Amino acid sequence: MSKEFKLPELGENIESADVISVLVKSGDKIEKEQGIIEIETDKATVEVPSSIEGTVSEVLVKQGDKVKVGQVLIKVDENGKEEEQKKETEKIEEKPEEKKEKAKAEKKDEKKKPSQEKPKPKGEKSIVEMKLPELGENIESASVIAVLVKEGDNIEKDQGVIEIETDKATVEVPSNVRGKVLEVLVKEGAKAKVGDTLIKVETSEEVEEPKPEVKPKEERKKEEPTKKEEKKKVEEKEGTKEERKKIQLPGKDDQPPITKGAAPAAPSVRRLARELGANINDIPGTGPAGRISLDDVKAYVKNINESVGAAGRGIKKEELLDFSKFGKIERKEMTGIRQKTAQHLSYAWMTIPHVTQYDKADITELEKVRKEMNQKAKDNKDKLTMTAILAKVSASALKVFPQFNSSVDMDKNEIIYKKYSHIGIAVDTENGLIVPVIRNADIKNMTELAKDINNLAEKARSRKISLDDLQGACFTITNLGGIGGTAFSPIVNSPEVAILGVSRGSYEPVYNGEEFEPRLMLPLSLSYDHRVIDGADAARFLRWVCEAIENPMKLLVEG
Amino acid sequence: MPKQVTVIGAGPGGYAAAFLAADLGMNVTLIDKEKNPGGVCLYRGCIPSKALLHVAKLITEAGEAKEWGIEFAKPKINLDRLREWKNEVVAKQTGGLGQLLKAKKINFIQGTAAFLNSSTLKIKKTDGKTEEHKFENAIIAAGSKIATILSLDIKSKRLLNSTSALDLPEIPKRLLVIGGGYIGLELGSVYASLGTKVSVVEMLSGLLPGADRDLVSHLAKRIEKSYEKVMLDSKVTEMKEVKNGIEVIIKDKEGKSITDTYDYVLMSIGRKPRTDGLGLENTKVKVNERGWIKVNKQMQTDDPNIFAIGDIVGEPMLAHKASHEGRTAVEVINGEKVAFEPMAIPAVVFTDPEIAWAGLTETQAKEKNIIYETAKFPWAASGRASTLGRSDGVTKLIVDPETERLLGIGICGPGAGELIAEGVLALEMGANLTDLKLTIHPHPTLSETIMESAEVFFGQSSHLHRPKRKY
Repeated sequence: MSKEFKLPELGENIESADVISVLVKSGDKIEKEQGIIEIETDKATVEVPSSIEGTVSEVLVKQGDKVKVGQVLIKVDENGKEEEQKKETEKIEEKPEEKKEKAKAEKKDEKKKPSQEKPKPKGEKSIVEMKLPELGENIESASVIAVLVKEGDNIEKDQGVIEIETDKATVEVPSNVRGKVLEVLVKEGAKAKVGDTLIKVETSEEVEEPKPEVKPKEERKKEEPTKKEEKKKVEEKEGTKEERKKIQLPGKDDQPPITKGAAPAAPSVRRLARELGANINDIPGTGPAGRISLDDVKAYVKNINESVGAAGRGIKKEELLDFSKFGKIERKEMTGIRQKTAQHLSYAWMTIPHVTQYDKADITELEKVRKEMNQKAKDNKDKLTMTAILAKVSASALKVFPQFNSSVDMDKNEIIYKKYSHIGIAVDTENGLIVPVIRNADIKNMTELAKDINNLAEKARSRKISLDDLQGACFTITNLGGIGGTAFSPIVNSPEVAILGVSRGSYEPVYNGEEFEPRLMLPLSLSYDHRVIDGADAARFLRWVCEAIENPMKLLVEG
Repeated sequence: MPKQVTVIGAGPGGYAAAFLAADLGMNVTLIDKEKNPGGVCLYRGCIPSKALLHVAKLITEAGEAKEWGIEFAKPKINLDRLREWKNEVVAKQTGGLGQLLKAKKINFIQGTAAFLNSSTLKIKKTDGKTEEHKFENAIIAAGSKIATILSLDIKSKRLLNSTSALDLPEIPKRLLVIGGGYIGLELGSVYASLGTKVSVVEMLSGLLPGADRDLVSHLAKRIEKSYEKVMLDSKVTEMKEVKNGIEVIIKDKEGKSITDTYDYVLMSIGRKPRTDGLGLENTKVKVNERGWIKVNKQMQTDDPNIFAIGDIVGEPMLAHKASHEGRTAVEVINGEKVAFEPMAIPAVVFTDPEIAWAGLTETQAKEKNIIYETAKFPWAASGRASTLGRSDGVTKLIVDPETERLLGIGICGPGAGELIAEGVLALEMGANLTDLKLTIHPHPTLSETIMESAEVFFGQSSHLHRPKRKY
């Protein structure tokens, strides 16, 4: 039985993602949990693991595609080889659906290739990729309206492979090779770029370069019935057409794009929209027949700005300077993670009234114990880290101070208290800031936490993390101690309400009542959402954390 | 620090770009091989041909005045003076542009330029010197050149092209025009009015390919009368120079070969990009398979600091398209967030009658399966057209029946080229037919035909009884 593997839910509010790479191909044997595609969402780059096993019979996505949740990514033959299945279906009673498919395929073959029975030309077979040829002036991509071939089809040269729609016309793209279709890499509704591979074909022929020009559909249709017999004639006709095209005068396909769908807006209005970064086609017009006025554009843009948050109101956008006036510059596109980070943190910064509480924990004794224990550890992975200790302490603190394990719903004027303790750990990767989440940190011991953190950080850095691992945190820890610094003010990772920043510990003279004594002090910074947490609570929370570090008995007694 | 831009080619696209750049305070260099800006349009195209077409119209109208009781003697044509006058018109226009160069403090270099790399040009000056020129931004506005059919390109003074035909070597007795497009028909009309028997041979089944047939039909009727012969679905297969003429073999509609001798032959089959010698291979600029430079909506080539505009980026090869593209490129260089995205670029054929259109044509609507309706007002119902003795015209609106929005406009008749501008504005503003109907047009003018067409759409035209069809 053939099964479809669809793009699973990726998380809250994530409906689609960009395919960065496809990790399997038709014919591959795959196992459960094996990565199928690598995708980039707003939040992270992740591999999507398979939930089924078997042999891949069809790959329906390709690099660069946007895929939606629920979209079929691959088809997998669970029984194993496709060949076997075919035989089986031939022998045993055919299911109506398959029958239909087969009949269709046969019919198609009959129609398109009357000489099917002829033996194939001998010679070495090779697999060629047929790519989308140049489509014409300024056309770089086209929408695929229909895929006219499928895997297993025998196709002729010049047979239509896909039907595409460009700005200018609907055309069939003819094959430049004769052979058997091994793999179809495009699908209906997708966009194909010039140079994208459309199909893989097994052939024993040499391949011509893709034709630079595709013939309009209607002409092709007319040609089809007489294709075989009148091949010569067709060639002749094409020759004339070519000649005609060459000498054609301006005025044929040269008009700009006023068609039915064009947004009804004056040039000044269209220009304003472009300046403000709005797509004129998205703006509802209030005029007759939806005509868009200058005011419509302004209202639309204002509305968008406001929807970012109440705090954004009244803030006028400041235009960027032309920095090239002052010296050389270079512009680079933000990565998806950078964009999301920028958007998310701006939102958090604007909506959350931030306060940061600073304190220091005496870790002299703790460090002694930690180092002793780590000397006994066999594996690096088992080593106890300060972050793991802080995760444990924080999870316990959340129990003692439940308002720190909450989110605020301003629309309903409610505070949501969470009965679980998942701790986010900020990880610095070369792709940007990623925050993997340790589940149920309160019920794990510190060694388990250290292992979890280690694993997740490793996954994050190698882009292998799953979206599940990035969601659901109650509280975040960001440890910059490895780099240095004495204190900083982290931004609360909304919708959480607090975040603990860790700086580098150092020896300080501490007065013990009689004299100054060198103690190893760890600076901690707690930023919190003042909407739900008051200053005194924050001071108490952080003090509790410090005391628990200094006296771990507290964890057993209170935590 | 002001921005720097170098513009290659001073045609209507190039000089419009250079002038705007100067107005925006940029440091501008403009390179062209002529003494003054103007390009093909002013030196060898729009302007000289329109000067001659004006004369042609005068001669034709003087002849037609007989109908109205005014009879002139057969005109005496002083060809040398006519040529001189045409040259004066060109000199006045290009000289004026030369003055503007100085006023705008543009560094004008007379010569030709080729790219050495993505930031350097090699300029061969007309005075023989060569210099290397560094640029921050470049705009390629090198235009197009005349296309020929190689097999027919015989070396003969009697084989004219659109440039040499404007020089009026003499008034031939018989002239054959190869190509029934706008260049051939405009120049053919000039010679016809001067007394030449003009024939035209067109490969396709109608004159002016691309224009709607109902617009072309009025012109075709008139041309059939004033020309010696119109040969459609025909092509010239051979040409050779003979004594006092060119012998031509034409394969006609039926496939028969006809041999005839003409004093002159004008080959006007189109234009192609002038990319050779520009050194584009030394840059990242890409051209498509037909040789046009590839650009995005910002008129930017694949080499980010090099822009291209006008004929060299493809059809429509029209001066007004080029100048708007040029201005867009300059605005982009100036850091503005703009794009070249007009709703419509008007096309005008300056024959008699003129044909003009903008936006969607009926032909395109059919090709693209766009649902549309037309509203037509024949000029026979126009008072103003009657006073001119010219009822051979039509105004046509192409309308989205759902929103009643104007999608396209086509006009045939004297002055159509002037009238079309109102249609372009309506298209750009997203006007609907009620807007056109309610806009008061002056009486008696030909412009009323646009308003009346809109009235026809609603079955309410004052001067044309055509009640709205009931569905």
